[in-house]
Amino acid sequence: MNSLLHPDAGLVDAATGRRLVGADLAARVADLAALLDAEPPGLVFATAATEIDAVLRLLAVWQANRPVALLDPQITPAVLGDLVDRFRPALLLNHPTPVDGFRPAAAGLGTAWRALAPDGGPLHPDLGLLLNTSGSTGNPKLVRLSRSAMHANAAAIATALGLDGDEVAPTTLPLHYAYGLSVLTSHLHVGATVLLERGGLTSRDFWTAAGRYGVTSLAAVPYQYEMLRRLRFAPARHPRLRTLTQAGGRLHPDLVADFHGRMAEVGGRFFVMYGQTEATARMTVLPADRLPEKLGSVGLPVPGGALSIRAEDGAETTTPDRVGEIVYRGPNVMMGYAETDADLARPDELGGVLATGDLGRLDADGFLFVTGRIKRIAKVFGVRVNLDDVERSLGHHGPVAAVAGADRLVVVVEGDDDPDRLARIRAEAASALGTHASGVQVRGVDALPLTPSGKPDYRVLEAQC
Amino acid sequence: MELQRLRTVFRTALELPEDAEVESLEYRGIERWDSLAHMSLVAAIEDDFGVMLDTDEVIDLSSFDRARQILEKHGVVLTD
Repeated sequence: MNSLLHPDAGLVDAATGRRLVGADLAARVADLAALLDAEPPGLVFATAATEIDAVLRLLAVWQANRPVALLDPQITPAVLGDLVDRFRPALLLNHPTPVDGFRPAAAGLGTAWRALAPDGGPLHPDLGLLLNTSGSTGNPKLVRLSRSAMHANAAAIATALGLDGDEVAPTTLPLHYAYGLSVLTSHLHVGATVLLERGGLTSRDFWTAAGRYGVTSLAAVPYQYEMLRRLRFAPARHPRLRTLTQAGGRLHPDLVADFHGRMAEVGGRFFVMYGQTEATARMTVLPADRLPEKLGSVGLPVPGGALSIRAEDGAETTTPDRVGEIVYRGPNVMMGYAETDADLARPDELGGVLATGDLGRLDADGFLFVTGRIKRIAKVFGVRVNLDDVERSLGHHGPVAAVAGADRLVVVVEGDDDPDRLARIRAEAASALGTHASGVQVRGVDALPLTPSGKPDYRVLEAQC
Repeated sequence: MELQRLRTVFRTALELPEDAEVESLEYRGIERWDSLAHMSLVAAIEDDFGVMLDTDEVIDLSSFDRARQILEKHGVVLTD
């Protein structure tokens, strides 16, 4: 039984107009699941472009009760090769070209590849989904999510947003990105329709399809709200489009108020949300009608979730206005991380409790305000350094990211690799911190690695330290 | 007004070399002209030519020629 797929759920492919709804969708997914059942057992790797065949295969993997690692469709051969080496998948789905050690899988599964000698270890029976917390770049760790966490979060999001079967949600974000995937799962869960579209908010095709299929909501991360503002997004021109959601990092309060205003004017809703891949997707939602009085908050826990604040001494509290690490409890918390296939047999190691690494406070009504990130702190010679401050102070050198090395500060700058330039930046950073230059390392790169939401990918940068 | 000015705006917004040929470029035809660069380009065109583009124009601005035509609609005629 696949509770992700409500009997009325539908998929529409914007590029081809192909539509599968209800029993037709369920039957197609069941057919594909039967093909998967005939393949060697084990972990599945799948990229999922936002097009209907790729998504049908993804749904079939879950129908077949097999765990899947969802990968960026733009993954490089080197990154894929590293992941294959470490996680030993039995099957690669939606991969356009052959891969060493694999041969074509059953016809009917598209460009799918089966391991010549499947040698992955045992998989924990609860495991449903593995997500990378970074973008297209390599990352040592995958997040292990159980099937029940996926279902719980899909249901909780649907409830918090008041979704029903009349909704039509387009894919505005990649599906290997937790927020993007949650749009798919939460809508299929309530029997709504998901419009699979590839062009994105700045393409003519997107807005044509949005009109043709009567899109009712948009999910977007901060840089996409900048785009929507630049596009002079006017909800009056889209009579069916009455819900906007935002996650993927802090959106400037001016833009929050701006988009709330645009939606409220036409009787629509704007939801600010907060989440992490480690919690499947969402942890909190700010009810749209409370936004004006709670501007800057990310809202209340989704149904089934609970929040507390952990002070430096480790004590947890829900007392208002105490700042500390945000701790989330809920059925959507991950089982743990995985670095190799041996970790895929491991049981739940967190017990539903996630220390988020984010700093925040609760107000008297229990609304969460995120104030910063704990791990954006480095120690240089034992002294705490705020990495965001370092970045700001070096911003005039161009795109720059500061990360914590081993008791030192590592600064990565885009552009010219000239040793003199790097030495100047190093001296400037050390002087600003009042520390010796040996506590600072500066590296030049062509381009900073970015997460799908366009922020510097600190986890990748840290892994390179 | 000189067409060269629009070429310069394109090269700057898309971070292309000073002598790069821009007439044949298409939105998403090159890696540099992605959706983020598109927003910089639109902002640069609006600032440089003192125009305000509407939603359809932002979306339709998919090539150098289209940009030229859209500017013409706003009364900015560009010639070599």
